Amino acid sequence: MSEFINETPTVLEDNQLPTRGEDTDGNLLLGTDVTKESLHRTKLLLKIDNSLQSPVLQNVELLTKLLQLNQAPELTTDESDEDTDDMADELGVPADPIDPQEIYDLIAHISDPEHPLTLGQLAVVNLKDIEVHDEGYKDRMAEVIVKITPTITHCSLATLIGLGIRVRLERALPARFRITIFVKEGSHQSENQVNKQLNDKERVAAACENDQLLGVISKMLSTCK
Amino acid sequence: MASEEASIFLETSIVSFVSNVDIDESSSDKTATQIAERISDKKFKLLDLIVSLRDYLTSQDLNRRKKALCCLSTVLSKLPDDKLLKNEISVVLSFYASKFDDTLMMQETLSGIYSLSGMKFLSMTEVGPILDLLSNKYNPSSHLAATRYFAFKILEKIYQRFSPKLIEDGELADLFVKTFLHVGNGEKDPRNLLLSFHLNELVSSNWNNVEKFKEDLFDILFCYFPITFRPPKDDPYKISNADLKISLRSAISASPAFAEDAFGNLIDKLAASSPSVKNDTLLTVKACIDKFGGEACLKHWLPLWSSLKFEIMHGNDAGYPDSPVSSPTQISEADNYQLSVNVMRSIASALLQFDEKAFDKFLSHIVEEVRPNFTYEKDLKQTCCLLGSIASANQQIFNKVVALVLPLFFKNSPELSKLKLEIMNLSFFFDAYIRVFGEANSEQNEVPPNSLSEQKDEILMVLSKALTASPKVEVTIRTLSIIQFTKLIKMKGFLMREEVALIVQYIYEAILTDNNKNIYYAGLESLKAIGEIHEDIVFEISLKRMLELLPIDPNEGAQLNENEPVDKETILKAILDFTNSRHKLVKESVLGLSKKLCQVAPYADSSEYCFLIISSIHTLLSNNIEMIRENDAGFIKENIEMPLFAAMTNYPSLQKDDHNLTLLSNIIFFLNLKSPRNTHQDELTRYKKYFVDSLQLFVKPSRLVVPFEKLLCGIDKNCEFNEVEHYFAQTMDLLRSEEITEAQFERLGYLELLTIFTNKWMDEQSLSKFINLDDLSPVNLEMLVWIVKGLVMKNSHHAVLFQEKFVNLLSSSEIGNYMAKLFEVFVVDVITFQKYKGISWNNNVKLTYKQKFFNDVFSRLVDAFKNTSEMDVKSNYLTALSLVSKHISSNLIEPYMNEMLPLLLQSLDMPNSEVKVSALNTLLDTCEKFHQLITEHVQTLSRSLLKLVSPVSYNSVSVRVLALRMLETLTHVVPLNHLLPFKEDIIDGLLPVLDDKKRIVRKQCVGTRQAYFELGQVPFE
Repeated sequence: MSEFINETPTVLEDNQLPTRGEDTDGNLLLGTDVTKESLHRTKLLLKIDNSLQSPVLQNVELLTKLLQLNQAPELTTDESDEDTDDMADELGVPADPIDPQEIYDLIAHISDPEHPLTLGQLAVVNLKDIEVHDEGYKDRMAEVIVKITPTITHCSLATLIGLGIRVRLERALPARFRITIFVKEGSHQSENQVNKQLNDKERVAAACENDQLLGVISKMLSTCK
Repeated sequence: MASEEASIFLETSIVSFVSNVDIDESSSDKTATQIAERISDKKFKLLDLIVSLRDYLTSQDLNRRKKALCCLSTVLSKLPDDKLLKNEISVVLSFYASKFDDTLMMQETLSGIYSLSGMKFLSMTEVGPILDLLSNKYNPSSHLAATRYFAFKILEKIYQRFSPKLIEDGELADLFVKTFLHVGNGEKDPRNLLLSFHLNELVSSNWNNVEKFKEDLFDILFCYFPITFRPPKDDPYKISNADLKISLRSAISASPAFAEDAFGNLIDKLAASSPSVKNDTLLTVKACIDKFGGEACLKHWLPLWSSLKFEIMHGNDAGYPDSPVSSPTQISEADNYQLSVNVMRSIASALLQFDEKAFDKFLSHIVEEVRPNFTYEKDLKQTCCLLGSIASANQQIFNKVVALVLPLFFKNSPELSKLKLEIMNLSFFFDAYIRVFGEANSEQNEVPPNSLSEQKDEILMVLSKALTASPKVEVTIRTLSIIQFTKLIKMKGFLMREEVALIVQYIYEAILTDNNKNIYYAGLESLKAIGEIHEDIVFEISLKRMLELLPIDPNEGAQLNENEPVDKETILKAILDFTNSRHKLVKESVLGLSKKLCQVAPYADSSEYCFLIISSIHTLLSNNIEMIRENDAGFIKENIEMPLFAAMTNYPSLQKDDHNLTLLSNIIFFLNLKSPRNTHQDELTRYKKYFVDSLQLFVKPSRLVVPFEKLLCGIDKNCEFNEVEHYFAQTMDLLRSEEITEAQFERLGYLELLTIFTNKWMDEQSLSKFINLDDLSPVNLEMLVWIVKGLVMKNSHHAVLFQEKFVNLLSSSEIGNYMAKLFEVFVVDVITFQKYKGISWNNNVKLTYKQKFFNDVFSRLVDAFKNTSEMDVKSNYLTALSLVSKHISSNLIEPYMNEMLPLLLQSLDMPNSEVKVSALNTLLDTCEKFHQLITEHVQTLSRSLLKLVSPVSYNSVSVRVLALRMLETLTHVVPLNHLLPFKEDIIDGLLPVLDDKKRIVRKQCVGTRQAYFELGQVPFE
């Protein structure tokens, strides 16, 4: 174990990381015949029986489907069907904005380059240290600010961690987002230098052309979910 | 003198044997057998053989002599043991004795003597000389293992035959032991060692002259300890390391005479650092204690305890008894820890058996020594594990230990961490109790009075304090308390019924009021475990109260103990979770919930609450359908059916709510399905009277057709259904009527009714009267489809004719589109039309009907698809096909994949999101197996998929997510060199999707893009 520079970091269990806590909702939307009423009923159901395979749930879905199916053909031309579907999408269920939790989920599972643990588990990235400035318009710029907390103040790999986070976010966020990464105030001896390096476009671009470095990043990102 | 013929036979046989021995074993063996047969048939005598061998035996050539002697020994080994007379044996023996000087022939000599020592008429007087020969003229160190083997075998044989006589004689027994010590000295061969250990064990455990030789006998054993042996490859004897270890162990522990030497030496070995040596030593120590008994222990327990103390107090701990055990194959420190503790238990029980006073001394010594641990709270866990283990030896010891130790507990410390430790350490004694007195069961639970029971109140106090008085955030201690409570209940005869009831109530309250998952599940597990022993208590205290707790007014909340609010959902979830698979509890919950439903339904805005209750009943029934017995179903039905009918007729919360009415109808279906078959005919009459006569279902469209048709699904198909054609016609009329066009729910009910009539009671021939294939109105088509569904389900050949018609209709520009959607009806799974295990009599549903339908329709659809050029029509075929294939399991589709794939690819461009979803699902399910096929089409596929990921019309959320998932799957399925050319396009094409409105789409997109970024990238190791 002596190969680690920082031998006793506080480690969080994977299930202790902050989550959105409503994962099932997403899956529900995948049912093909969703109407508002049956969605509501499904949510109720999941409170008493947390399984997507439950016969009651299948029954609710089936009923919705059959009722739609049997509508007379004049009423169910594909056009109108789709229209209501889209309405449900746009009006019934509001769009999900990109929020700090989403950013956190993107980067918390990156592996630390020197511990067999993730950045979230080592509390290198923390939910409260992520800021998102986004008005939701597709044609306006938006910004994400991530502050990382190296496990020790002389951590030589802070820049590599920052690079990993940057690569991950650049791959995962729309182009209108500007990504800024800092080390948290007072968490590193050479804070200014590291910050400068982390946000230097030329350096980042150069780093991404180094195959070996990309390999290391690729390994760090391999644990992302 | 032998006859001419015999001596010629002998001559030739000997020549044949001598020339074959060492070259062709089987042939020389055969020759020897032949000779032996002739000797036993008295054709000639053994002496004749020796005479004929004379020239060879006296030859100058060692080889010749050796072979000749080998011939004689082999023949002897083939002879039946009663063929040689006393004096013959004596002569042959002295002949062999003379050969002892010829040391190079020792193997043949010994093998001969071995055969002779097995002869029936061997006299006792010969034993002494044989032993003499072995101890004086045989030097084991100058012979090979195979030769030494016979020496051991001779001794073994002699022991088996003459053991009592030898010991009677005394001197001979001594001689035997001396000979054995001589023969066994310096042995190294594993096969011989096994024999040596075995002989040693026999002698030392059965003979009384051991005292004289105990040191030598022990030395010849212990010099091998700890034995290790790695069998060579192709080991002919198949001896394992474990064989040797076990054999040595049982030899060392064979006689109490060894005690002095054994304990001393083993204690030395305990200091070993290798876990496997330590393991062997501990096992041997334990075997010795168990075999030698209390007297030997009396002298040695103190040094043993001193040397085990460190292991027990500071060794790697075994964990608490509830923690999972590590892999059993590897010897770990934890195993040794457990073993050390077990050794102490063995000492305890050995001592107590020998002398109670000695045991008391032993116990008080140990308790005194560990007492400071309780005061300073140091190594308490190890201490309690040790004491618990000693206590688990037997009842008497248990009582003594517990009486001494338990008062050291219960300090009433206000600190939670100390309370937690206290509970964890108490659990060792609970385990000991179960080991000594057994587990509780539902029948007999009497146990003798014991010292733990005297402390029962204290224990209950501590545990209930931990559960009820500690703050809710203290999850660990509360969970622990639930686990230990459960253990108390499992302890046979420990708790009174009232105490169990109290515990169940604690757990019941914890489940309902605590929203921590761990506590919830610990509580559930506990209730389940308790339910196996005290089902009635669990029913009375938890289930019944939960049912009572459910409010009647939907606007009211439930309150526990007047101040703790409890969600209705939580109560229902708990009921579902802990009654699962307990037959009585399921029955009672169904009954209770149904009664509750009838009380709730009259309230005006209760449909949501009703939905929750109905869903719970439905889940209980459908999950446990196989377990529900006939008489239960009958009983439940009798009690709740009529009230439910009344409720669904009278209250809008049930009748006007689509989900509630359907699910409730399914519930009644399940009960009918399981009720006794002989009641079905009467029930059918009753139902008809209620629904048809009173409710006038066939006069005016009614929502209550749904419960009626679901009920019919559960009725025996052999029941008489009078005037079925009349009702069939009326149903069709109703469906055609004006007033039902807007009422989708009713329509569905009547359509399903048509399916059931067709499937169960209508005569297939007379169907044609009702069917009009020329009427292309949607209503008629719909009815046709549902009628044909009834035929399809029973694999009727009539169905095939209709299918052709339906496929043709797909090409119609007016109704083709509609028809395509109806195709799904044929294969859709309605819960009341499904097959249930063990029930063959409700509906005519064949297991393979979907497969057959798909089979029939597939080629028709594909042909028609190929023969048309109109895009609209093509789209209808694709829609129909993908809607059907959606309900067919993917392994049934596989045989059609080659033809299917091009169609699937085209389906991806159809203007219908449901078709796209179906096609994508089929692709996802099958692409692993058809990677080659997919690879051929990867260009088309990737292009189509990229079109599906943007949020335009017909690309619903599911389409987008599935398309992204499919793109990701391509990276696992398609070989790298085929996919790389598309890498950049796909990465770029997915960029806009990162800004999708739905998070789930974005998330999948990130994953998919990452997979493409990684394509061809070698991770740094």
